Amino acid sequence: MPVKLIDLQHITKRYDDNTVLDDFSLYIRENEFVTLLGPSGCGKTTTLRIIGGFERPDSGTVLFQGKDITDLPPNKRELNTVFQKYALFPHMTIADNIAFGLRIHKKSNDYIKDKISYALKLVNLEGYENRMPDSLSGGQQQRIAIARAIVNEPKVLLLDEPLGALDLKLRQDMQYELIRLKNELGITFVYVTHDQEEALTMSDTIVVMNQGYIQQIGTPTDIYNEPQNAFVADFIGDSNIVSGIMIRDKLVEILGARFDCVDTGFGENRPVDVVIRPEDIDLVKPEDGTIEGVVTDVIFKGVHYEMCVMSNGFEWIVHSTDCFPVDTHVGIHVDPFDIQIMHKPESEDEKAVAVDE
Amino acid sequence: MKKHRGIKMFYLIVMLIFLYAPILTLMVLSFNASKSRSRWGGFTLDWYISLVEDGGIISAFKTTLIIAFLSALIATALGTAACIGMQTMRRKFRRLILAITNIPMLNADIVTGVSLMLLFIAARMTMGFRTVLLAHITFNIPYVILSVMPRFRQLNRNTYEAALDLGASPLYAFFRITLPDLMPAILSGFLMSFTMSLDDFIITHFTKGAGFDTLSTKIYSEVKKGIKPEIYALSTLMFVAVLLLLWLVNYHPWTRRKNDNGRKKFRSVPGIAAVLVTIICATGLLSGCGSSAAADYNDPNSLFIYNAGEYIDPDLLDEFEDETGINVVYDEFETLEIMYPKVESGAARYDLICPSDYMIEKMRKNDLLKPINIDNIPNLKNIGESYWETARSFDPDNTYAVPYCWGTVGILYNKTMVDEPVDSWSILWDEKYKDQILMQDSVRDAMMVALKLLGYSANTTDEKELREATELLEKQKPLVQAYVVDQVRDKMIGNEAALGVIYSGEAIFTKRENPDLDYVVPKEGSNIWLDCWVMPKNATHVENAEKFLDFLSRPDIAYRNFDYITYSTPNTAARELIPDEDIKNSNIAFPDLTKMSGLETYSFLGEAEDRHLNSLWREVKAY
Repeated sequence: MPVKLIDLQHITKRYDDNTVLDDFSLYIRENEFVTLLGPSGCGKTTTLRIIGGFERPDSGTVLFQGKDITDLPPNKRELNTVFQKYALFPHMTIADNIAFGLRIHKKSNDYIKDKISYALKLVNLEGYENRMPDSLSGGQQQRIAIARAIVNEPKVLLLDEPLGALDLKLRQDMQYELIRLKNELGITFVYVTHDQEEALTMSDTIVVMNQGYIQQIGTPTDIYNEPQNAFVADFIGDSNIVSGIMIRDKLVEILGARFDCVDTGFGENRPVDVVIRPEDIDLVKPEDGTIEGVVTDVIFKGVHYEMCVMSNGFEWIVHSTDCFPVDTHVGIHVDPFDIQIMHKPESEDEKAVAVDE
Repeated sequence: MKKHRGIKMFYLIVMLIFLYAPILTLMVLSFNASKSRSRWGGFTLDWYISLVEDGGIISAFKTTLIIAFLSALIATALGTAACIGMQTMRRKFRRLILAITNIPMLNADIVTGVSLMLLFIAARMTMGFRTVLLAHITFNIPYVILSVMPRFRQLNRNTYEAALDLGASPLYAFFRITLPDLMPAILSGFLMSFTMSLDDFIITHFTKGAGFDTLSTKIYSEVKKGIKPEIYALSTLMFVAVLLLLWLVNYHPWTRRKNDNGRKKFRSVPGIAAVLVTIICATGLLSGCGSSAAADYNDPNSLFIYNAGEYIDPDLLDEFEDETGINVVYDEFETLEIMYPKVESGAARYDLICPSDYMIEKMRKNDLLKPINIDNIPNLKNIGESYWETARSFDPDNTYAVPYCWGTVGILYNKTMVDEPVDSWSILWDEKYKDQILMQDSVRDAMMVALKLLGYSANTTDEKELREATELLEKQKPLVQAYVVDQVRDKMIGNEAALGVIYSGEAIFTKRENPDLDYVVPKEGSNIWLDCWVMPKNATHVENAEKFLDFLSRPDIAYRNFDYITYSTPNTAARELIPDEDIKNSNIAFPDLTKMSGLETYSFLGEAEDRHLNSLWREVKAY
């Protein structure tokens, strides 16, 4: 089991009356690619800035390899950041940009030269030493920003939505690039994004956050397949979230029909939320399904069809490679292990409240 | 369509003429060989040459550059620092502070100037280089903030954090990363301040002190003596310089290229301008800084003199310096009313001041004067006894005042335009000369004319008599061409009026220029005025002042001074030296006082009475 590299303990951060993080705890292991995922304002960037040293928490401790670095200024921390807007120094050449950190740490000229060409090679921008930053495209600038950070051989690389300003194709290319870099360098990445697809593609561990609280921590598969609450389910991919009643272990009633499931321990006759992914719904003949419905809308999405099925007043979203025309009567069937049962939050506040660890 | 274009063109041309005709006129005149404003005498660069040779102007020029450079430099540093501070504030608070720093820019200069003057006086600071520099820094800071703040807002905050992240200390990150990014804005803030400082007159005027002049205040004091062509040349140069600076900052083609790869070039433009400015200023500093900037009242070997404009032969000051080794700091005031508060407050310190009779009385009564020891000044024996006697009307024991110049008020008339003999003030009420009459725009002189015609004293405070005089002046108003001060001289020389009320000293000069003119002191009597040297209570260079008065009263010196300023000298020995018999025995310059009746000096009537007279005068002018 790798050791805890970064350990955030009971962090609270307020701006004026707005509490961004409230008693927030999280640890990050060595060589992990951790993604902080959540909508804007969820506190993910603040968390990253606290790790980077740009913000000081109002209370709580930041440990780095077991040492308290809460009050250590950013220039004294053994980690580097890649900023959302590149933040290259506009009046310096690419080489000077990359050498900035090395020069401050008084490295020899030969060492610096080697490092520059190594870093440029790593990000596939050889021969760009003497260009000025504003003559580079956004993607190139971002890669230089990464090169500038990694030449310092940090233990951790912090990335604050580094691909946010790039277009889709470039973003996808850069995702692979980042994974490659992480594997080659063998350092810890802490990545912030609001893009769930990005998070699912790259991460070892995803931390889903909302309103300053951690909603769920897990591997991409865990997060996607077994969201622990409606927020996570809704935020990660498309979901059918419907109220139901847990009749007893492994049996749930939804919209008046009883479905077999695999979940236990929710008690008997308890109200619950039920999550069913659109691609996990099988459309069958009306008499073969657990519940009946009528197709009301069909959209062709390329890989699959997206259909809306109305049954007992609930509109299901269904993804399927088979097309059922509008007004077709269908039956809905879901395999027991594709049904995810969640506790129902008892108040609005609780929707955002931390999940018990 | 075509028609419209014609109208547009016409409008544009009219607008350009409207905007630039005055400056163009000035520029053309600066190359005019003739001194006349209305005649072209051929092309010349003489005015530019004599400008460069004028020590006073060159020294003011250096002072201007030094003040502009230092104030811009300090204001830039302070303003930029203020921006850094404001940047970290919360938005609401920052807006408030930004608004507060902007207010001085919108504030009327005169308000800023007067309030700074009051502050300096309250802080007991001596007016001079220091106060002007402080004032300029004060009004420059908002311009720097105005220029730097928007750039700060555009700044990518992340670059600073990225530098910290890469291990830079906050200070290093600021100087290495943030500052270079701000540099274009900082430089243009610097240049803007520099230009503002070069440009300023009003604030400098109120905060300057003894022996200190910037170009604008120098030009102002020169213009009061009559506009010399050198001033056209100087103004042209200033206009071109400011134009060049503005163009460099705002419109140079390089600045437009910032969007392609010319970022480095773009940065260098204001940089080049700033370097130029620095070099020019450094040259100024190295080439001896100008004595004006170094005037220090605590220097025991100096003498600070405060006199009316164009009221001494400047060569004599140099001669006195050469003869005694005393360093003379010579300053001029526009009017006694401006001189008085500066001296009273102690904001400006002088050793000798030359006010008129009534003002001496006021200063004496307000205990602002120091007795002058006549025994230490042997040459005072050359001053005629009758003038000492006249002085006793405001200085009863001849304790404080040493007579310097005197004269009368009378009528200057053009012999070709007036056929009857002129011997009475009543001719100024003659319908025949409607629109041919020039009156002095001065309450005491105008009231004196009316009071004397009515047979009253010029110093009366009797309400009935003053009322009558006021009504008389109101009756005269339709006949008067203009109420003016210095222009009486110019207009009479130019045959623009037939009759004008004028001082005898001016009469001698105007008669020389236009032989058709003659001067008379009307039989009803008039004002006789006497300007004297006095020593303010806080003067410390007493011995030097005594030496100077002794020097001025030497017959040869007093004669040369008379020859230069043409005001009658009370120095009887000097009068004997006048070679021209006509002038020596001139009725204008040296009237026989014993044969004249009704001559009075003005006395100080008290402030309430002054106010009352002023309100009566306003009534006349509004009539």
